[in-house]
Amino acid sequence: MMRLVTFLLCLPLLLGGCTLPVVLSETTGPRPDELVFPPLEFRFPEVQKVQLDNGMRVYLYEDHELPLVSLSLMVEGGDINDPLEKTGLSELFATTMETGGTKSLSPENLENELEAKAINLSVSASTYAYELGLSLHRNDLERGLDIMTELVRSPRFAEDRFELARKQMVEGLLRMNDDPGSIAVRLLAEAVNPGHPFGTTPTVEQVKSISREDLFDLHQHYFQPANFYLAISGDITEADLMTLLDKEFSGWGGAEPLVRDYPALPDQQDGKILLAFKDIPQTTILMGHRGIDKDNPDLFALRLADFILGSGGLNSRLMREIRSNRGLAYSVYSYFRVGRQLPGSFIAGSETKSGSTVEVVRLMREMMQQIIAEPVSPAELELAKKSLINSFVFAFENSHSVVNRVMDHDFYGYPPDYMSTYRDKVAAVTVEDVQQAARKYLHPDKLQIVLVGDSRVYADEINSLGLPVEMVDLEQLR
Amino acid sequence: MYRRLVLLIVFIVSIPGLLAASTLGDNVREHRLENGATLLLIERHTSPTVAAYISFRVGSVNETSEERGAAHLLEHMLFKGTKTLGTRNYAAEEPMLEQINALGAQIDRLKNQVASDPHELERLRAELTRLQKEHRQFVVTDEFSRIYAENGGIGYNAFTGKDQTTYLINLPANKLELWAAIESDRLQNAVFREFYTERDVVAEERRRSYESNPQGMLYETLLATAYKVHPYRDPVIGWESDIANLSPEKIRGFFSRYYTPVNMVITLVGEFESVAAIELVERYFGKLNPGVPVPPVSDREPQQRGERRVVIDFDCENSMMIAFHKPTMPQAEDYAFDILMQVLADGRTSRLYRELVVEQEVASSVDIFSAPGARYDNLMIIRLEPRSGHSTAEVEAALYRELERLQDEPFSEAEIAKARKQITMGQMRRLKSNSGLARTLSSFEVLGDWRYLLDYEEKLNMVNAQDIMKIAERYLTADNRTVAILSRGGEG
Repeated sequence: MMRLVTFLLCLPLLLGGCTLPVVLSETTGPRPDELVFPPLEFRFPEVQKVQLDNGMRVYLYEDHELPLVSLSLMVEGGDINDPLEKTGLSELFATTMETGGTKSLSPENLENELEAKAINLSVSASTYAYELGLSLHRNDLERGLDIMTELVRSPRFAEDRFELARKQMVEGLLRMNDDPGSIAVRLLAEAVNPGHPFGTTPTVEQVKSISREDLFDLHQHYFQPANFYLAISGDITEADLMTLLDKEFSGWGGAEPLVRDYPALPDQQDGKILLAFKDIPQTTILMGHRGIDKDNPDLFALRLADFILGSGGLNSRLMREIRSNRGLAYSVYSYFRVGRQLPGSFIAGSETKSGSTVEVVRLMREMMQQIIAEPVSPAELELAKKSLINSFVFAFENSHSVVNRVMDHDFYGYPPDYMSTYRDKVAAVTVEDVQQAARKYLHPDKLQIVLVGDSRVYADEINSLGLPVEMVDLEQLR
Repeated sequence: MYRRLVLLIVFIVSIPGLLAASTLGDNVREHRLENGATLLLIERHTSPTVAAYISFRVGSVNETSEERGAAHLLEHMLFKGTKTLGTRNYAAEEPMLEQINALGAQIDRLKNQVASDPHELERLRAELTRLQKEHRQFVVTDEFSRIYAENGGIGYNAFTGKDQTTYLINLPANKLELWAAIESDRLQNAVFREFYTERDVVAEERRRSYESNPQGMLYETLLATAYKVHPYRDPVIGWESDIANLSPEKIRGFFSRYYTPVNMVITLVGEFESVAAIELVERYFGKLNPGVPVPPVSDREPQQRGERRVVIDFDCENSMMIAFHKPTMPQAEDYAFDILMQVLADGRTSRLYRELVVEQEVASSVDIFSAPGARYDNLMIIRLEPRSGHSTAEVEAALYRELERLQDEPFSEAEIAKARKQITMGQMRRLKSNSGLARTLSSFEVLGDWRYLLDYEEKLNMVNAQDIMKIAERYLTADNRTVAILSRGGEG
């Protein structure tokens, strides 16, 4: 019933060691960055891939060091498919599925059994998928998989747990204005993608309008084996896994895989500033605009531009100037959140005392402008490249992330050689490529800039930035 | 260090069982350097990477009231370079650093005077800004960070806690010598450049974590109320005015007193050969002067006699933390607390979650943790959010009914067995990564002895229902509790 394919061949590779010449000084010895290191031996871990007759894809990576097994199941769907008038449906679905029991197990019995065995079983909704996670002792694998499969096939969505999940979600919405960071995240999403699921926050009314039937319908629609991707790592052998999967999933199938169809993004918005008042001594600054998706041909050039501008931690320009040189912030960063299907967003953020808010916003925009206008230095590019290339080995440190990544890349349709060519593609990027990418994808004039804090301090000064300013009434946002 | 965290809330008190009992003890190799430094090694050939941790038996509790915040600001300063790294020319830079420090000290003296001249202060500050700009010509900004990044290091960071401090990095396995070279250099030759700028960064960090963050403010206030005498009362980062008055001299004094081999634990987990790793550590760290041990804190928290209650007015929905003083590890009662806390509020079948959130629907969330440190007697803290329409008083009443039950009805054997299993499985999950294992080992070694982990499960197995009733009766009393409430309008 199963076809077994070895997915990634075992490729012994030598990651280049740093081979700078050593200048030995008699008194101090070499500087740490003048040391010579042996080459690093690294092999791509071998992940096995199986496809069941019902279309379900299975990925396995054995790791027998500890008696633990981890599973991740991805199911087509996700909150991008929530109807706008039922924003929050997927989240409520996931919580109720996790807590609401199965056909044969009441919610209480399910919880009691899982917690007595210290099994972690979770359900969550991401943008493009529903995701289940299972972590357990290998002795409990058979029972744990039984429970997970029954949950996936026949969730109960018990009435009382549905009500509880709905009330808890409303509680979360009522607390949404407590933390300046979460206010900023919500306002920015709404400003960048208005009227789209990416830019919509549920209201209390919407959550209350979702019914239990909506959850059953959603389950029926998406939870078919043809839409399943399952990744397993840990203390289990391939033969045992095959036996278990045969038992759990044989005879369940039939449906065709879903065709992906996502609502188009709204047009890029013109730049503006949103002020939300909160009586605190520090302003949360968050800004962003439309970004790119993973299939973009400039992906790697932009990754490097990103590192240099704001995602390279202390090695980024934003950190160096705003934190290290001027002491204006503890945290300042920017990054392109690369969309797995639709384009994602460019995001930049910081926090600074009320009085330096405008100064920090101005500096952040200037530094975006600078990386567009001037080529980066060869040394900066070299640092960014070396960092991405030499830290690549950490992508394989954790056995579950190894198998998860292979599954994830299949799910989203990454090129099959994405990982094996990653370092070469990073290495090939030039100074010109970086500038081109920055020019093409960074748009300081299109930034939606959200400021949450004591706006009385900077409301006047903010006009000097030359962007339209809107006040947001947080009380109206419940 | 980009996310250099102050060890904020949760201190993990419970530990691995299964791995501990069966294989951990056999896999740890311990070596002591002549200068007193302890080295713990676990070879693990699963991935060509190494987690390298250096921990010190020192934290904010070892500060005097004149130097509160020093351990944490020192942590920031230790990322600023040495006499060879982070500078273009130290000999030329040094006089300028002295000039900046003298001016900084002058400003700090003046700003605290009641009748200081604002114009003079402004003039001096402008002069400081000018000097700092001029100084930048000598600085190679964040050079440690550049070198580690170029060599593929990730998670370059440090944590300062109440009673321990850790500096860490994960590197590709062939770069272990880079770590030894950089870390031994900064312990001997650290230069505190860009001090006043970094002090401003820390002030921003404080605003971010406490003054603009309702939960941070609640926690900080709770500690300052529950402790009157013991330094667990003060935030690791320091109070606002503490930070504003820290000087390079105070930081230097704290550094040279305590960050020495006798107080140091190095932990390496990952791919290396132990013999070669020991040789490497000896070669780089063996030449450090031993130093003197950190003296124990002499302050004793007097027994609490009566409930303490504090209300904070903040623009947010209500929430609360309720704390009870308790003994710390490795006292027998602490193991009983590990079980008690697990049964009480960890997971959806825990008593408080079932009662307060699911059945009575008076709360929307409940958490439990032990804090703020583990070397000295600490607190069991319960965090609660009332459901909208329910007051903090209702939630408190519901909580106290459950706590009273603990004194009357013994836990069932099944509840205790479940708690044990959850604790040991949770710990085993943490040991999956090199970094998690290194962190656990170094933390327990710094607090006393990493072997605490080895008999932990056995000790946990010895806890019975009577032990738990006894600690509930003894510690979960009104007289021993502190209640901190966060509410809009400060109405409680």
